Amino acid sequence: MTGLTFELRSVPPGIVDGSVLQPAALAGKSRAEIERLPLAAWNETLVVADLFALKGRDAQHVTIHGACDRFERLGAGLDGGTLTVVGGVGRYAGEGMRRGTLIIDGPAASHVGAGMRGGLIDVTGDAGDFAGSARPGAMAGMAGGTLRIRGDAGDRAGDRMRRGTLIVEGAVGGWCVSRMIAGTALVLGAVGPHPGHQMRRGTLLLDAPGCELLPTFNPNGRHDLLAIRLLLDSLAAHGPGVADYGRRAIGGLDRWLGDLAAGGQGEIFVARS
Amino acid sequence: MAEALVLDGVAIEDTFAEAFGMRATRLVVTAASPTWARHAAQTFTGFATSVIACGCEAAIERELQPGETPDGRPGVSILLFALSAKDLQKQLDRRTGQCILTCPTTAAYGGIAADAAKEWLGLGRSLRYFGDGWQIAKRIAGRRYWRVPVMDGEFLCEDTVATIKAIGGGNFLIVARDQSAALAAAERAVAAIEPLWNVILPFPGGVVRSGSKVGSKYRVLPASTNDAYCPTLVGLVPTKLPPGAGAVLELVIDGLDADSIALAMAEGIRAACRDGTRRGVLAITAGNYGGKLGPHHFHLHRILGALP
Repeated sequence: MTGLTFELRSVPPGIVDGSVLQPAALAGKSRAEIERLPLAAWNETLVVADLFALKGRDAQHVTIHGACDRFERLGAGLDGGTLTVVGGVGRYAGEGMRRGTLIIDGPAASHVGAGMRGGLIDVTGDAGDFAGSARPGAMAGMAGGTLRIRGDAGDRAGDRMRRGTLIVEGAVGGWCVSRMIAGTALVLGAVGPHPGHQMRRGTLLLDAPGCELLPTFNPNGRHDLLAIRLLLDSLAAHGPGVADYGRRAIGGLDRWLGDLAAGGQGEIFVARS
Repeated sequence: MAEALVLDGVAIEDTFAEAFGMRATRLVVTAASPTWARHAAQTFTGFATSVIACGCEAAIERELQPGETPDGRPGVSILLFALSAKDLQKQLDRRTGQCILTCPTTAAYGGIAADAAKEWLGLGRSLRYFGDGWQIAKRIAGRRYWRVPVMDGEFLCEDTVATIKAIGGGNFLIVARDQSAALAAAERAVAAIEPLWNVILPFPGGVVRSGSKVGSKYRVLPASTNDAYCPTLVGLVPTKLPPGAGAVLELVIDGLDADSIALAMAEGIRAACRDGTRRGVLAITAGNYGGKLGPHHFHLHRILGALP
């Protein structure tokens, strides 16, 4: 059975909530029922058939072709199956997802993976601000799963992150993992100002020798810790860049502890060039 | 003695080993070198021969190559048995805390697959408090670990380990012409069993010389010497020794499942009997309590007949 595919026929006039276009909401429905599903838009309610042509049947493997940043909350609350979006996505893609895989073959706007609790989000392009962070008003950011961004990420990536793994293969903006509660973040590109600002616990791994850290981080020396080796081994499958970082970490990484303004039990590792 | 099967000239008594249900876990201990992994494992499994007085039974199951361990370092797998999950937890806490946490460069991981778990025991969950608040929890590949700061860096261990239902007390006795013949046969049997997975021989060198019977003339003792197999008591007590027997040694086998114990018993008996007539091995028998105490019965003739 071929996967269920949505082909975009016309770009919506405004923002559309695309959270209904995912396996759990589509399972067991006929094509006609799916075509009549409502899509909440800015000041009107559309139906699926207004925007998409449908192909295929298997609702466990859903593909959306031609999406753009006007589609928000794609994959929000995803609880299993695979959702592949070809093209860009709007804000809050994969927000609060619990299981399954969300592949975004293109760029993602802000808050991708906000508050996610499990599963995998793989963004092949860049991501906006607040990737893997908390939803507005929430006390904690992503609390499980893996968010992988193959391009760059904006400011405040991993803000208030509590559990899970954030991997950014490109550069990150400022205040990366600000207010981090726990979890792991790995950044392979350049890092903006003030990484780890107010982080309480958790691990930030950087590949930016000489990057400037806040004065509230104390140098802890060079360490080759078994836990970090195991961690990087477990992440190596996420790509050659991650695997290469893991190889270079053997022998030790420079470790900084902080943010001392927030308890100081967070750690930032920096690989030497 | 009852009707016997003969293996390499050695009579195999038609009897059975009587074994008991236990709880068990497997711990994988790694270190910077095989030597340090072995130091930790040997200390951990010290004074763990019998639940009667030690609280648990434990031994090294296998030494592990770097490719067989979670962190790619040399290691040792340990099997730990106790009568209940509560007893197992108590022994796990004490022994890991005093023997593995203390040993340079070590790390400790659970070795029982999660899908086989009957119950979960705390490992790092208890030990983490040694970190005095500086311990760090880290979830790696779906498993939770604790990183406890120690003077050589960090002690890494899993948060929990799985426990499963297991069997303790599989056994067989080697009846020989004299002490040296019995010891040589027992050593052959130990060497045959040592490479096997899922079983341990918890007694010193894998061998017991003080086989016991239930009860004693002294009220305080729950068990006492198995006088029917003591060559120095022949003529004083009803003996089970055949004519010419001068020494008996026992192998006690704990295992994670009945098949593993049966395999170990069969391999051990065959090794003990190899060229037995010339080497002074007279008979193989097994210890039981009439079948009234333990639910697991390993019939010697059946396990030797069933296994190639």
